[in-house]
Amino acid sequence: MASAAAPASSEEAVKAAKVLMVGAGGIGCELLKTLALSGFSDIHVIDLDTIEVSNLNRQFLFRKSHVGQSKAHVARDAILKFRPNINIESHHANVKDAQFNVDFFKQFNVVLNGLDNLDARRHVNRLCLAAEVPLVESGTTGFLGQVTVHVKGKTECYECQPKPIPKSYPVCTITSTPSKFVHCIVWAKELLFAKLFGDKNQDNDLNVHSKDGSSSKLDVFERDVDEDLDQYAQRIYDHVFGYNIEVALENEETWKNRRRPNPVYIRDTLPEAVKQNGSSWDCSNDHEEPSAMASLGLTNPQEIWTLAENSRVLLEAFKLFFEKREKEIGNLVFDKDDQLAVEFVTAAANIRAHSFGIPLHSLFEAKGVAGNIVHAVATTNAIIAGLIVIEAIKVLQDDYKNYRMTYCLEHPTKKLLLMPVEPFEPNPSCYVCSETPLLLDVNTKVTKLKEVIDKIIKSKLGMNLPLVMIGSTLVFEDGDGLEEDEAANYALNLEKVLAELPAPVINGTKLTVEDFQQELSCSINIKHREEFDEEKEPDGMVLSGWSAPVEKQINSNGENKSAASSSSARATDDTVEDPSKPGMKRKLDELLETKENCDASSSAQVVEDDDDCTMLDGNPALIKKKRLQ
Amino acid sequence: VPWNWMHGRAGAKRLAPTSASREQLHAREGGVAIPHLVPLPLLGRSHRRETTASAAMAAAAAAAEPKTKYDRQLRIWGDQGQAALEKASICLLNCGPTGTEALKNLVLGGIGSVTVVDGSKVEQSDLGNNFLLDEGCLGQSRAKSICSFLQELNDAVKAKYVEESPATMIDTNPSFFSQFTVVLATQLPESSLLKLDSICRSANIVLVAARSYGLTGLVRVSIKEHCVIESKPDHSLDDLRLHNPWPELKQFAKSIDICDKDPVVHKHTPYIVILVRLAEKWADAHDGQLPSTRQEKREFKDLIRAHMLNVDEDNYKEAVESSYKVSVTPGISDEIRQIIDDSSSEVNFSSSDFWVLVASLKEFIANEGNGELPLEGTIPDMTSLTE
Repeated sequence: MASAAAPASSEEAVKAAKVLMVGAGGIGCELLKTLALSGFSDIHVIDLDTIEVSNLNRQFLFRKSHVGQSKAHVARDAILKFRPNINIESHHANVKDAQFNVDFFKQFNVVLNGLDNLDARRHVNRLCLAAEVPLVESGTTGFLGQVTVHVKGKTECYECQPKPIPKSYPVCTITSTPSKFVHCIVWAKELLFAKLFGDKNQDNDLNVHSKDGSSSKLDVFERDVDEDLDQYAQRIYDHVFGYNIEVALENEETWKNRRRPNPVYIRDTLPEAVKQNGSSWDCSNDHEEPSAMASLGLTNPQEIWTLAENSRVLLEAFKLFFEKREKEIGNLVFDKDDQLAVEFVTAAANIRAHSFGIPLHSLFEAKGVAGNIVHAVATTNAIIAGLIVIEAIKVLQDDYKNYRMTYCLEHPTKKLLLMPVEPFEPNPSCYVCSETPLLLDVNTKVTKLKEVIDKIIKSKLGMNLPLVMIGSTLVFEDGDGLEEDEAANYALNLEKVLAELPAPVINGTKLTVEDFQQELSCSINIKHREEFDEEKEPDGMVLSGWSAPVEKQINSNGENKSAASSSSARATDDTVEDPSKPGMKRKLDELLETKENCDASSSAQVVEDDDDCTMLDGNPALIKKKRLQ
Repeated sequence: VPWNWMHGRAGAKRLAPTSASREQLHAREGGVAIPHLVPLPLLGRSHRRETTASAAMAAAAAAAEPKTKYDRQLRIWGDQGQAALEKASICLLNCGPTGTEALKNLVLGGIGSVTVVDGSKVEQSDLGNNFLLDEGCLGQSRAKSICSFLQELNDAVKAKYVEESPATMIDTNPSFFSQFTVVLATQLPESSLLKLDSICRSANIVLVAARSYGLTGLVRVSIKEHCVIESKPDHSLDDLRLHNPWPELKQFAKSIDICDKDPVVHKHTPYIVILVRLAEKWADAHDGQLPSTRQEKREFKDLIRAHMLNVDEDNYKEAVESSYKVSVTPGISDEIRQIIDDSSSEVNFSSSDFWVLVASLKEFIANEGNGELPLEGTIPDMTSLTE
């Protein structure tokens, strides 16, 4: 902390404070406003984003005319209008950039997060720990929100309680046995869209073969030379919705206890389209963004289209990509703000859903699922911003007995809308703030270093620019400023299996992994194992070592399922990923059940028992971990 | 804040709009005249195809804009919620920081109109205290300045003002308030609030009173009876009458042998059946009474566990988790009792739908229900065999 002795009053503490805000979006706008109104006069803001129309219902520092401009800069200007004499420095940059190193963080008395993704939060958490600067974290989803305080040595760090890994689905559910609309969306996005318009070199699980002997082609998705666009579109349609389903139906075992899907062919859904060769629903589409909906006269994104309409949209969108956006084909990645892509994915998902007897959805709903859109409103952000400033002031005064984690609920529970809870002490086995070694089960004879780095070090451990050492041998480094021969050496190492690295990794070897920027260092003990369960451990490696609380999973519908945890966290990169919404709700439910279940041995579901306990600070029956003293 | 709680979750989760709400939304579009769009619900599909492409695209663009701006909140309260917001008119009394903050949230959300009543001029003490005022406003009408900033936040909202002190307005022109849906009274003394409350009550207007002092504050809603229907409640209470199973359920439960030795059958016995049978067993051993004290409930859980053959029997775990349901007090709750005993349940031609429903419920309870509510009828998920 910058000051030696705690300032006398909150007013003085505020006046003297230098504050870093990370994020100038929903929470950021409200927070910047509240900070300014509360007398803060030295603020830095970092945000990499630019302003979009969908921000305008709540990010009130921005106007329509600002669309496309930097959030950080515009926010700063807006605040200076009504408080011209305060000091705000805005950075239109990614907080993970090298310039925001430990020294940068050290200049602040407190860091306030208004982020929308786990990755950046973890990064900031580590920098705050390294710089020994308190962090006030926050998040909102619709009417839900929370504010938490993290002070090194005194409270849990942000990662002491592992956050839920993004929801992903088993490959077979996506490719063969969807049962929910989200499965169809993932199929449409990650398989069909990617196959047709994305990187050709990417692995893709779509069946590319056609009936034996009917085609000499290796890949039925390739357009024939001079193939008519309409015909091409219809051929693909029949292949994915008709032929592939027929193939799947041949496997009796799969359908023993499941509803059999119906193959869908163009000749059935759009008989007139088959006869019309070459004529599309023509319209002068030379202006602006091509849109299948517009061409077809479908104006309401909240309408649920019929199978025929979905089919028309699919074919039209398909053709528009080739007619108007040919250059992008081969490089396209799904983007929720890409209207044509959203139309394509919606239509494709709906047709598949129809096959499998799953209810169809409107474009509006499909977009939300495909784009992982989080619902949001101004009021929750305003409440949370207020709470952040209250906690920040406590932090500035070193008033640690009064630090609170505050949860803002959707519906009042026991007549309370806001639930304050005392923070927990640091988790002694947190690998981030307590330097506990981790354990990795892996087949060292078969697994390449590259896989360990991608699946474990970068993704599970959240390191940005890692460095891997075995004993005193440096086997890998990431970042700028590498010499050519060093870089070449590392590239070679990436492709080697663990057991064959310059310093061989075998059972019992200890890896030291570091990220300089995050000032995080941890050790991973290797345990050699040859057998991995294909379904439960699809990655072929399992990381363990911190004691996780009961692990809960949220699927895209926000439903809550609890599963008893083992101490291993499962990496699921082999499955098709679909990131879930932020983990707020899970944390809240955990909290509510901690309060409602006096009986620590009862199961994890919230029980509506007449005998529930009221939540009191310091109630010994409720506390499983030690509370902050 | 008031809007969220008042309208709760009236918006349905499935967002297919009714044609009525579609019309309203389009009628609201800031000044863009697209006549062929308004009667859209009346046009058949074929007519739509005949409209020219460019008109369709312009229509799509104009319709898209508010949808894009409100996208994130539409995902909370849907089209109907948004339509309700856009139909509403708010009157704000006193636009200090509290009132301004509230209005900001309403305006951003697309409220129909706001009218600010405030007689003061912008003073030095207002600056830096209210994020919608800057130095250029000094000396000007506070209400006027606030309104012009609010208008910037959302040009679809009509922002008006009256330069008058709220207390005077209340005393001299009470009929002024009848045009509003909600009156938001901030920083008003109790004497004014009491008068205002009776004005609002007689005009059937919602009154929200708010005051803030430093780090404390209060919000109070004064509203005549208001019916909110939770069409998709989050926590549905499975009504299974385990404490008093109806004859067919009893029969069904009897027909199943919960002690079947076949492990597959045993672990797939639906938990409802387990509970019905074991509740009966308990009652037989306890003078016809079901578990009621904490000790008894614990013992009942133990009884269930004692019937498990295997640790991994999910159906038995479900039974233990739901065991408290057999201890539900029969009959209806006090809250429901209060409603059906209310004098409004004596309905007449002017009664609202809600009270007519209550009157029917009351009759049911007295007759077919035998003192209990009608059975909801939904069956929760449970581990069982397909048949």
